[in-house]
Amino acid sequence: MTEKIAAIDCGQDTVNTLKGMMGEEIQLAIESFEGIQNLQNYRMIIIEGNGNQRDILQRIRKLRYACYFRAVPIILINRQAYTDSVEPYITSGASEVLSFNEPVGAIQQILKGYLIPNRKPLDEEMEYLNSFIKNTSNVLNTTTSLEAVFKEVYFTNDFRIFGDISGIIGLSGEAEGILGITFYWPLAKTIIAKMMGVDEDHINADLIHDGVAEIINMISGSTKKDFVGKPYHFEISLPSVIVGSGHQIGHAENTPIAVMIFEVNYQYFALQVCLKSKINRKGSITGIKK
Amino acid sequence: MKIIIADDSKVMRNIIENAIKPLGLATIHASNGQEVLDCLEKQGNEVGLILLDWNMPVMSGIEVLETIKKNNLYTHIPVLIVSTESEDDKMTRAFKAGAKGYISKPFTPERLLNLIRGRISL
Repeated sequence: MTEKIAAIDCGQDTVNTLKGMMGEEIQLAIESFEGIQNLQNYRMIIIEGNGNQRDILQRIRKLRYACYFRAVPIILINRQAYTDSVEPYITSGASEVLSFNEPVGAIQQILKGYLIPNRKPLDEEMEYLNSFIKNTSNVLNTTTSLEAVFKEVYFTNDFRIFGDISGIIGLSGEAEGILGITFYWPLAKTIIAKMMGVDEDHINADLIHDGVAEIINMISGSTKKDFVGKPYHFEISLPSVIVGSGHQIGHAENTPIAVMIFEVNYQYFALQVCLKSKINRKGSITGIKK
Repeated sequence: MKIIIADDSKVMRNIIENAIKPLGLATIHASNGQEVLDCLEKQGNEVGLILLDWNMPVMSGIEVLETIKKNNLYTHIPVLIVSTESEDDKMTRAFKAGAKGYISKPFTPERLLNLIRGRISL
């Protein structure tokens, strides 16, 4: 099966090199940055790092936004080796920064590694994820009358989430972990205005922080009730809010994160669940030394 | 008569205030349990209903409920719990402590109004 990759603002030399490296496995769609609106259907995005750093960073942020929380790798590639730090590109949303000065085999291996699809949940995992999905839609619908449509779920070990604001809440007890919800600013503003029954002009940053915390509080509270008597039952803490593009949320080690994407009027938000039950299938608690 | 709305979320306090507007009563906002007690001390004789969130900083809703029901000055004031915590053990504890009603978040304005009208004579 060929993988559809967007080559954005890539020169002909770069396109030819990529085609030579990846062969028949990929279908390169040559795109201009200015025409980009929705990148959800690409398996990978490759952008050539032409121009000054500020412009490139801005472009990476916009590309990441256009992925709507889907796990689409964004590869920044350059014909020359980078002399400056690659860190700003990564924190802006790039998954990898490559240079054609590196050995061809290494670049091939890295690119193919990013084409490995994210793991989808098993049926037993969907059992508990379905409860989060149902309650997320219900909280949004009850408090705002907006319809939050569940689109997809995948597992990732990448802790970074590229939104503008996240509400997070710690989960402890029989199951422990973290629940987080991430929005871009415009949708967060729309939702909080609807919740409060006021015009968006009346919504400031403080109200958005407060409202996002309350949303995650309601989702965790109603899901908690669903898990009474089940291995995934948890207690909740007071919610916290993180603001800033590309912020990182810490999760328990060795526990994959389920990312659930929802759509509200053609805008998207993501719910992250990192939850590990301490109760094994036989009903005893694991990880506790007597 | 005034209604105390106690919730650490300003957005939620506004949601509740909008929902109970049809009652036509003045509201007092409190962002934690201690503020509820401070408010009762200052204007307890004007308060006709307390809507209490369970999870609040400084002092939780259940602690407030248990405290005010031990104080003869306030035992007559009805308290409704408005909380994300909606498990049976929590509800049982709230009713044992003297709550008149319990509503879980999220709720529609109609559900909250019906609960208040059904349980409280205002």
